[in-house]
Amino acid sequence: MNTSPNAMAKAPTIGLAVIALFLVVGMPSLNAAGVVSDFHLNTWGKYLCYAILAISVDLLWGYTGLLCLGQSLFFALGGYMFGMHLMLMIGKMGAYKSDLPDFMVFLGRKELPGFWEPFYSFPFAALMVFLLPGVLAGIFGYLAFRSRIKGVYFSILTQALTYGAALMFFRNELYMGGNNGFTDFRSILGADIRSPETKRMLYIASAITLVLVFLFCKWLTTSRYGLIQRAIRDSENRVLFSGYSAANFKLFVFVISAMIAGVGGALYVPQVGIINPSEMMTEKSLEAVVWVAVGGRGTLFGPIVGAILVNYLKSWATTEFPDYWLIIMGGSFVLVVLFLPKGIVGIPAQIRELLANRESRRAAAAEDELLNSAAKSE
Amino acid sequence: MAGLFVPLSLAAQEPPAKSPREIVAEAAVLMDADEQRVLVESLATANADEVVSLLAKWREGEIYQWQDDEGNSVAVLLDGEPDGDEKFALVTLAAGKPVLAADGTAVRMTKDELYMADTDSKLRRVMKGVTDRLALSSPDVPKRLRAVQDTGLEQDLAKLPLLEQLTVVEKNGKVKQALAEATAMLKLRSEDMAVRETAVKELGAMGSIASQGAIKTVRDEADQGGLVSLVAACDQAQKEIDSHISFVNSAGTVFRGISKGSILLIAAIGLAITFGLMGVINMAHGELIVVGAYTTYMVQNLFAKWNLNGMAWDMYFLVAIPASFLTAALVGLILERGIIRFLYKRPLESLLATWGVSMVMQQLFRLTFGANNVQVESPAFLSGNWTVNDIVFGWNRVFVIGFAVLIIFLTWATLNKTSLGLLIRAVMQNRSMAACMGIRTERVNMMTFAFGSGLAGLAGAFLSQIGNVGPNLGQDYIVDSFMTVVVGGVGNIFGTVISALGIGMADQSLQQILGDPVTGKILVLGAIILFLQWKPSGLFATRSRSLD
Repeated sequence: MNTSPNAMAKAPTIGLAVIALFLVVGMPSLNAAGVVSDFHLNTWGKYLCYAILAISVDLLWGYTGLLCLGQSLFFALGGYMFGMHLMLMIGKMGAYKSDLPDFMVFLGRKELPGFWEPFYSFPFAALMVFLLPGVLAGIFGYLAFRSRIKGVYFSILTQALTYGAALMFFRNELYMGGNNGFTDFRSILGADIRSPETKRMLYIASAITLVLVFLFCKWLTTSRYGLIQRAIRDSENRVLFSGYSAANFKLFVFVISAMIAGVGGALYVPQVGIINPSEMMTEKSLEAVVWVAVGGRGTLFGPIVGAILVNYLKSWATTEFPDYWLIIMGGSFVLVVLFLPKGIVGIPAQIRELLANRESRRAAAAEDELLNSAAKSE
Repeated sequence: MAGLFVPLSLAAQEPPAKSPREIVAEAAVLMDADEQRVLVESLATANADEVVSLLAKWREGEIYQWQDDEGNSVAVLLDGEPDGDEKFALVTLAAGKPVLAADGTAVRMTKDELYMADTDSKLRRVMKGVTDRLALSSPDVPKRLRAVQDTGLEQDLAKLPLLEQLTVVEKNGKVKQALAEATAMLKLRSEDMAVRETAVKELGAMGSIASQGAIKTVRDEADQGGLVSLVAACDQAQKEIDSHISFVNSAGTVFRGISKGSILLIAAIGLAITFGLMGVINMAHGELIVVGAYTTYMVQNLFAKWNLNGMAWDMYFLVAIPASFLTAALVGLILERGIIRFLYKRPLESLLATWGVSMVMQQLFRLTFGANNVQVESPAFLSGNWTVNDIVFGWNRVFVIGFAVLIIFLTWATLNKTSLGLLIRAVMQNRSMAACMGIRTERVNMMTFAFGSGLAGLAGAFLSQIGNVGPNLGQDYIVDSFMTVVVGGVGNIFGTVISALGIGMADQSLQQILGDPVTGKILVLGAIILFLQWKPSGLFATRSRSLD
């Protein structure tokens, strides 16, 4: 079923390298030359962050069989961590001309809550982008995998976790911006966040991160470790009976994928200029799962294709058919699940399989006929 | 002298006992204030509603005096709308007949041409006494109860004899209790401090919430007067009342917890079938609930269109219950035939596909019924309260609890006492074995899913009575429903019942303790995650030898 990696490795590798080069160098150059508009480049930057999120979902779902509905939470947490730094960088440029972020002034806060202080430092914020999602995933994963919660129960529990966290972030008392979240960012690393140059740099950062994440996951999934991962997906009990501690493997991949999602979120926030709790609702996780399903799970290229394609479709449909886009999205989603279990990148394989099936059926029919005629002649 | 002014018409048709209208008509034109008061006082035994409205008319200056040709004053009311000259037609108050002049034509007059039957403060006090007393002996129990409570709060010592008199004849237990409370509250204003003290003690023993303010006043006065024992009695009474209040609050929390649990249960029971028994992750379960809610809305509109009122309109809900079950079951059937039957072997993918379905359905609701909430009116028998010992039970919530019990019973009976239930259990335990035994598993799957979906529709019918009905209603319940089923133990209806009640109680108690619903909800979610550490397969795990 799975075509062996070696047979077709060469051509796709070159293709992927070309695509990567185009995303990292080509697009920004075209933008600098004025061929690709700033708006377009920014949209693509957003899509690439989504693609990072999609890869993190796929690492869990496609490769390990864990359907996590909390990836949007990790994505948003990464975004929030970086957003805190960006909020502090606004300084006195806010509407209230105060050192405090606007929403705190609005809440009547006189001084910065203690846990905000370290976020003045960029390296600290960047570290937290990895750390917080990682630690949360570590604790939750430890609890969940230790008691061997798996399959749909894992999905439902992560859904509950995400729901609870979103409820928490909606509260003003958390001092994380409540309903409105963080917005109105001004500068990043001393550069004006709204200038085309900064946006281009952010795009390039996203593209490079995506390529790095892709390469890392490629390495991870083709290693011996990746083999166990897929073994867990296909039959966890056999892995367990073979003497592997499936829980530890799962925990590791869960933490890694949470971190990847967090990084995606951190790159996403400065580009869209806002982060609020609606980003971490379960629906967002499900959307990311959709990208993976549409693109093709169990591959690393599929999620990227899915994330870009679905979001493209979404932004097209929301402007062209505002009343029907949910129906288009939902409907196409159902169709993909029913008819394209391997997603878009799996279409060629599916066609080959179909042809092979027909071939073998024809062969079997011919054989039957031969046997029948032989029986008759006897 | 008074007799001179008695209208002739009254004298002519002297009935055995005068009707309240006639008495008021007579009193309104009397010149002697004392006699007026006597007449008004005599109304205290008449029909309450009539007297109250007549006296109100009098107080508000709607009764006029009209002089007939012989110089007799007649009490009249203005009739209908004024004509161009601001003139009104007149009717007599006593008989309600049009006032005719000597030539037989109707008399028309402006307001200025008539004397208004006025009242002085003494008379008004008498009137109030009469209406109060009438209310206190009203045959309608809730009205009587309210009147007694009001009298207690007024603390007019003059009414003490009246209350004591009423206590002797009162039959209704609740009113008797209220009378005792009101009497004690009146006694708080007694000059005799010993009487006050007994009253305070009585109120304390009753746990009378209403008397707190009055007791505090008594305590302050006693404090100033240096009455140590009375102060102590007040403090003791307040303590008893406080403990009664906290009892009422916790009983209220228990009730709200059970009712919240019942709501959860109704929302989750369908899921316990489709997810628990069949293993289908139906993310569109919430939308099936919404289907039920909108069906109720449409049945209501249909009844409104047929111009049904009162009882007949109230019946809409009884029609809506089976209608929402059937509609949701039909939608479920289509869903199962169209999508889910292909995904029985791929539960995670059924999650994704049904999520797509839920998106489509939500948008269809929005396009059909608009993005805003629609109004579903509760039938009369679901509105109102029932108060026992100061604990308020809302009828709709009581009904929801009763209904949850009924649904559980029906579900249990269907699964355990019918042949369909036997087939369902067989197929769910081992699909291929059941198929080998000749059971048409496809059909059973279809029926089971439709049944579970129908239950979701029922939930929608009930949620429409409690909260808003809108396209997003289902989203509010989907996480909770899944949690309920998972905590209860998949495949176990009884577990779902226990877990729904447990989660409902935890939610309401935390809300009561923390005073904040959101934090309570977060804590409940956290507790559920930790609970599943301890019992990973829920409260009541279905034992099985199969590996996964």
